[in-house]
Order: sequence, then structure tokens, then C-alpha cells
Amino acid sequence: MKTKRKSYLLALAPFLLLCILFEIIPVVYTVVRSFFPEGGEAGFTLDNYINIFTGKLYQQAIINSLLISVLSSVIGLIVAFIGAKAVHEERGKLKTVFMSILNMVSNFSGVPLAFAYIIMLGNIGVMTMIGANYGIKFLAEFPLYSVWGLLLIYVYFQIPLATLLLIPAFDSIRKEWKEAVALLGGSQMTFWRKVGIPVLTPSILGTFSVLFANALAAYASAYALLMNNVSLLPIRLSEQFVGDIIQRPEFGSAIAVVMMVFMVLAIMIQNKMTPKKGGRR
Amino acid sequence: MRTEKKKSHVGAKIAIIVIIAYLLLPLIMTFIYSLFQEWIDIAPTGFTLAAYTELFTDPLFWKAVGRTVVISIIPIILCTVFVLLAMYVVVVYHPEWDKMIQILCTIPYAIQGVILPICVLSLYSSAPEPFGDRMFMLVATYMVVILPYVYQGIRNNLNGVGAPRLIEAAQMLGASKFYAFFRVVIPNIMGGVTISVMLAMAIVFGDFVIINTLAGGQFMTAQMYLYDIMKKSGQRTCAVIVVLFVVTLIISACAFFLQSKGKDRKDR
Repeated sequence: MKTKRKSYLLALAPFLLLCILFEIIPVVYTVVRSFFPEGGEAGFTLDNYINIFTGKLYQQAIINSLLISVLSSVIGLIVAFIGAKAVHEERGKLKTVFMSILNMVSNFSGVPLAFAYIIMLGNIGVMTMIGANYGIKFLAEFPLYSVWGLLLIYVYFQIPLATLLLIPAFDSIRKEWKEAVALLGGSQMTFWRKVGIPVLTPSILGTFSVLFANALAAYASAYALLMNNVSLLPIRLSEQFVGDIIQRPEFGSAIAVVMMVFMVLAIMIQNKMTPKKGGRR
Repeated sequence: MRTEKKKSHVGAKIAIIVIIAYLLLPLIMTFIYSLFQEWIDIAPTGFTLAAYTELFTDPLFWKAVGRTVVISIIPIILCTVFVLLAMYVVVVYHPEWDKMIQILCTIPYAIQGVILPICVLSLYSSAPEPFGDRMFMLVATYMVVILPYVYQGIRNNLNGVGAPRLIEAAQMLGASKFYAFFRVVIPNIMGGVTISVMLAMAIVFGDFVIINTLAGGQFMTAQMYLYDIMKKSGQRTCAVIVVLFVVTLIISACAFFLQSKGKDRKDR
């Protein structure tokens, strides 16, 4: 009887095994390994972290990664805000078409997206050629193979994601509120400044943290465009483990931990700044 | 008042159209590029379907697509089964454990992208079989990556049908808890679960970073095929992108179709 009563726990086993073996242990192992000296000896050291934050190459990677993640998230959010607001005001066919297109292009990322930009703005891209033929300097000399080019690509995949995340939030804005503001003599602008945006703040912050994490961890587009010739955290991380240069697993683990800390920070800041349900304090 | 409303309406329309144009531009350019021999001025020249015929007659391409289908379906089925089994314990015996399951299913967000495959690789690359096997690592890593989506889909649907009450009702009619969960609850949520599974499928289908990290060039999926051909021919690359994109669209269109069908049924 006793064994029978607990036998249902077996159903939990596959799930727990998966999580422990391929989620918890790999992460814990990476964290622990990041404090080991390079070369595989035992011991405790902070050298790996010191090297990340003092080495020029890795400082640059951190700066570039944060810059590109924050900028692409902010730009993505601004466009998404305009788009979601428009969806909120628009009824009918155009809205349906817009929603389908957002869903459709949210699948367009990674290597295919990078290549689409290469044929548009790359060395012999269509727009580059047109720019050169007609003397449009901006197109002819577009710096696609740089952090700025990457930013353009990142913004592209942030927009559909951000818009899809923000649209449901706009549903919480009631028409009565707008009418109330109008009755009290407020303009549309006043409504958004004083009511709309404050109501949406938790959703905006939540979306920001999703976008930030998404951009920080993105690897495929950058790799397809520039291989290892760009200083970004995901690129620097992966080259410590795979590829042609000498592998440095302990040092690489420290890079992975730095990235995880950024991810967790983004989530925590969002949680902290979002007022809890049932009033503040 | 009225004119203001009208104006904002036009503004909304323009905003939506501009964003649509921006989002469709790279896709349309890729499509046109795949259909012409040369495009160095405003209009492309030399219409041809050669890129597509070459692609469809390349056995390597079909093999790559086959591998992608296999490597997407196995983790998705396993992951769904694992989560369903775990939710059986949670719903029927220990509702208070849901918090723990939820945390376990949220962690993959914080280790997304390149982090998880690197952690897995560094831990198991020299481990004994079966852990050291790249395919084993690949399947397990995909399962962890799609965990949040599969869990969310299953939990939402369990809540949607009111699983605890369904089980109670079935028990009153003499069914065991096991029977009630697997023969009454699961058939009721299967439609909804299929939708989240298809979204997960689109994620695995478009993956490059995990396959590139864990398998390198050894296991050529469609994405790896694309990456390989990128260095050879721009036109063919565009054709591959178009074909893969259409396949992804079909997968998500199926999910949408099921979703709207499910809604209709509930509305009735």
C-alpha cells in the first residue's frame, strides 16, 4: 500500500531529470568553473572575472553588447508603442492584416534576416549599388558590417516581438478614461502623459526586459554577418568553447556568468519597478 | 472633437502602413532576389526559376530538411509528454508544487540563446555515453529551450478546462485519478496544447545557434545548409530562405487555424 501511494511520483521523474541534468547542473557547473584557474588546476580565483573587466577586447564586448541591446530595445519599444497604439485605435481589416504580418515576420530572424540585409545593404547589395549609381552616399557607404549595421538588424527583429507583446496591454486602456480626461479639459497628449503611459508602464518594462534579454543573447545574425569579427558577448563566449582559437573553458564560463547576471538583472529591475497588485507598499 | 478623432484615425492607418512596409521590405527583396539573375540597378534583370529547380533537385537539401523535421519533432514530443506527466502529479496530488515547476520552466529564459548550449557542451563534451553523444545533448537542449512555451500552453489549457473539477467529476462517476487525468482531461486540452507545440516547432525549426554550437557541421539541418550555401550563391541562398520561411509560415498558420477553430467551438 505504501509503495502504491507514492508511485505517482514517478511521473514527475522524467521532467525533474531533464531540468536537473540539462538546466540546473550545466548552469551550476558553469558558475563553479568560472572561479577555477585557467588550465584545469584546482583552486579558487577571481582572475577570470578580472580579465573580462580589464581586458580591452572583452570590455569592448560588454560595452557593445549592452549598447546594442539597450538601443535596439528602446528603438523597438518606441516603434512598437506607436504600432500598438495605432492597433488600439484602428478597427477592421487593416488591423487583422497588421497582426498577421507581425506574427509572420516574428519568424524572420537569425541567419535569414542577416542575409536579407546583406543583399540589401552589403558590399554588393542592391541598395548599395543603387546608392553608388545615383550618388546617394548614405546608401553607398552604409556601414552594415559594423555594430551599427547589426543594430539595424536587431531593431528589425525587436519590432514585431515588442508590438505583439504590447498590443494586449493596450486593451486594458478603457475608453471611459479618455472621456474622463477630455471632460476635465485634458488633450490627447495629456491623456497619454498622465494616464495612458503610467497604466502601461509595467507592460512596457516587462517588454523591455524580454527585448533586452533577446538582443543580449542573440547570436545567429551577428555570426552570419560578421563571423567572429565583432566584439559581442555571445560571440566572445562561444569562441572560448568552439572554433579555431585556443579554447579557454574557465574563462568562457566567466563570460557566460556575466551574461547570465545581465539577464537576471534585467528581469529583477523589471520586477522591482513594477508595482505589485493590490496597491503600493 | 469629431475631426480630431478622424485625424488620429488617419494617423493610426499611416503608422501601421509604414511599419508594415518596413517589416516586409527585407522579405520582398529576398524573394525578388531569388527570382532574378542580376540586380545591380533599380530593376532586376533576367527572370529565372533556376535557383528553385537547383534547390529542389539537390538531395542534400532534402536530407537537411528531413533532419530538421526529425530533430524538431523528437524533442517536442518528449518535452510535451514530460510536462504532461509532471502536471499530472501537480494537478492531482500536489497543487502547491506548481510554483516550483513554474520556476524550472522559466529559467530557460535567463539562459537563452548561446548560453545554454555552451553550458551543456562544456559539461558533457567529454562525458561518457549517452551524455557525450552530440545528438543526445542536442535533443535534451532543445527540450529545455521549448520548456517555457510547452509548459505555458499546457498550464493555460489545464486552467481553461478547469482540470481539478473535471477530475472530481470523473471520480464521482467512478474513474480513478489516473484515468481521469489521462482519459478525460488530456483529450480536452490536446487541441490547445497542439498550438503551443507548433509555436515550439517554429522555434526549433529556425534555430541556428544550438545546432551550430552542439553539432558544428556534423549534422546538417536546414539552417546549417543555408549557412553553408550562403558562401556560394546569393541567389540560391535567397531561394532557401524563401522556402524555409514558407515552411515556417505553414507551421504557424496551422497553429492559428487550430486556435480559431478552438475558439469557434468554445463560442458555440
